[in-house]
Amino acid sequence: MNAATVKAAEAAGATETAPAPRPMSPTHGLFRAMLRLHQSAVWFWGLLVLLTAGALLWAAGPGVDAAWAEYDRPGCHDGEPNLGCDTSGPAYDRYDTAVQLASAVIGLAPILAALWAGASLIGRELENGTAQLAWTQSVSPARWLAAKLAVPAALLTAGMLLLTLSHRLMWSEHIGKWGQWGTWEWYESQILIANGPLATAHVLLGLAAGVLTGLLTRRSLTSLGYGFFAMVGLLYVLGLLRPYLWPAVTATTTPKEGYPDILGMTVTEGALGPGGDRVPDPCLANAKCALGADGITGYYRDYHPSSHFWPLQLVETGIALAVTALLVLAAFVLLRRRTEGVSSPRTGGTP
Amino acid sequence: MTGTALEAAALGKKFGRRKAGWALHDCTLRIPAGRVCGLVGPNGAGKSTLLAHAAGLLAPTEGSIRVLGTTPAAARERIAYVAQDKPLYPQLTVAETLRLGRELNPGHWDAAVAGRVVDEGGLDRDAKIRSLSGGQRTRVALALALGKRPELLLLDEPMADLDPLARHQLMGTLLADSAEHGTTVVMSSHVVAELEGSCDHLLLLGEGRVRLAGPLDELLAAHTLVTGPSSGDLAPHTVVESRTTGRQVTALIRPRGPVGAGWQTDEPTLEELVLAHLRAPQAPALTLMDDGADGGETDGAEVQEAAV
Repeated sequence: MNAATVKAAEAAGATETAPAPRPMSPTHGLFRAMLRLHQSAVWFWGLLVLLTAGALLWAAGPGVDAAWAEYDRPGCHDGEPNLGCDTSGPAYDRYDTAVQLASAVIGLAPILAALWAGASLIGRELENGTAQLAWTQSVSPARWLAAKLAVPAALLTAGMLLLTLSHRLMWSEHIGKWGQWGTWEWYESQILIANGPLATAHVLLGLAAGVLTGLLTRRSLTSLGYGFFAMVGLLYVLGLLRPYLWPAVTATTTPKEGYPDILGMTVTEGALGPGGDRVPDPCLANAKCALGADGITGYYRDYHPSSHFWPLQLVETGIALAVTALLVLAAFVLLRRRTEGVSSPRTGGTP
Repeated sequence: MTGTALEAAALGKKFGRRKAGWALHDCTLRIPAGRVCGLVGPNGAGKSTLLAHAAGLLAPTEGSIRVLGTTPAAARERIAYVAQDKPLYPQLTVAETLRLGRELNPGHWDAAVAGRVVDEGGLDRDAKIRSLSGGQRTRVALALALGKRPELLLLDEPMADLDPLARHQLMGTLLADSAEHGTTVVMSSHVVAELEGSCDHLLLLGEGRVRLAGPLDELLAAHTLVTGPSSGDLAPHTVVESRTTGRQVTALIRPRGPVGAGWQTDEPTLEELVLAHLRAPQAPALTLMDDGADGGETDGAEVQEAAV
């Protein structure tokens, strides 16, 4: 080694050691490292949230105003009926597109979270051995997994809360203008989910499902496939259960009146028999039957009025968070079993 | 320095549910602290599995493993491990990778050592890991391992990707570091020549079991290479392997008492010792314990022979 390289090495050593003495807590260092490793995902998420929130805020402000002005101009609002009121104008189309795109992002966020967590956050690291690198760089597997869950969970929660608030603002403007005659109903899944903490709970569920899938498959590509089906399945089951998460209200009518009006989220509907018992509507099978025929004494509809919004929100949020907690627990148990064995591996029997 | 760096008792690891899936089976060994131990064996002998257990990355199926007097998990901060494929984060630069080491090892990170290993290879610190060659990645991986100032350094085929010059240079860095800080090094390799001159302890694995273990010089001393007429009798001695060429036989034996007249004897080289055992998988296992060998006793060796 000649003098020049010695000097260069010394200089390099000096620049390297200069900032080192600053004390750093282990957790702080681990979190910083996590953020740096997944820098591009952090940027992507930040950008996605800002764009979506921007679209929603635009829709809540200038977007809805322009659409309303366009709708109101030909007198559709309280004037005489006009065929033109049934077709939408360009301002409304823009408004509609912005809201639909934002809804799509919020609706797809849990699946995106699951795919990313399974493939990039966990699967790729186990596949390439970089997880093992971290585990031998003084980070225990449990701490590694905790950081892998905590940092994305914090960023996902912050982003989803911002989106939920923007969505609520958009929704209150929409309802304020159109009342109940608007394009969307409060109980449609994309509206219901995005208007409360449920959206955040779904995304956290996606993170946990993705992490567990990544740990199980230990492969990024495999994890993409399984993660997609697992998360779509979970969301589907939650959607199926949703109407039954809170006791519904029943509306009944006489045979003459026909079915009760749709006043909210319908759970079930049908006909009432002679004793007031629920029977299948004979008219469903027979097109010629008249209302009230064949001993039908009325019709019923079990539904959720809009006052059930919060109970439905909160119960499903609770369920989603409970499932999330179970998946996280399973992930920790699985990782512990794999790396440290069950409680006492000291004396193993021969097979 | 006394004590045990690595100790396994009836360690077994089975992958999958297959009956034949035992990567390690009934593996009992002890590596004293302060040694540079070469871990050799044919492909699939369980070298990587043993090192991964010692590094706390895998849970044993049966038996136990202890590292630096405790469990591998408890010794995590005092062990460094470089896996066979040298995993690193491809999206980070060399400088960011070193920073990662500092962040993940707060309080016991030696930036100067890690920086020196990287600089000796003339690596550009702003280069992304994904742009580096295999040998350069090895260097960064070793820098991460040495930077955490381990008491036990576990290296899985560390030199496989390096050119001869870099190999020589890095081995020098490793050994100097190990000598200076009393680091125990356990290094697997199938290039036996690579271990000659750098190791003072040998562990030969075969089919998941220990075939040969002990201080290198004592293992060499316990074996003799004999050459003689093919009609000769090697009866009292344990024959590890013998090969007949024409009317002559060359055999590696573990002598029990003096070798009879008519035999030409020679001390085997490390390569001869290892190759003979690799060629003769049925040879009995041999473990030499050095009880307090570092305390100055030279003849405290205890020979254990067990038929497999």
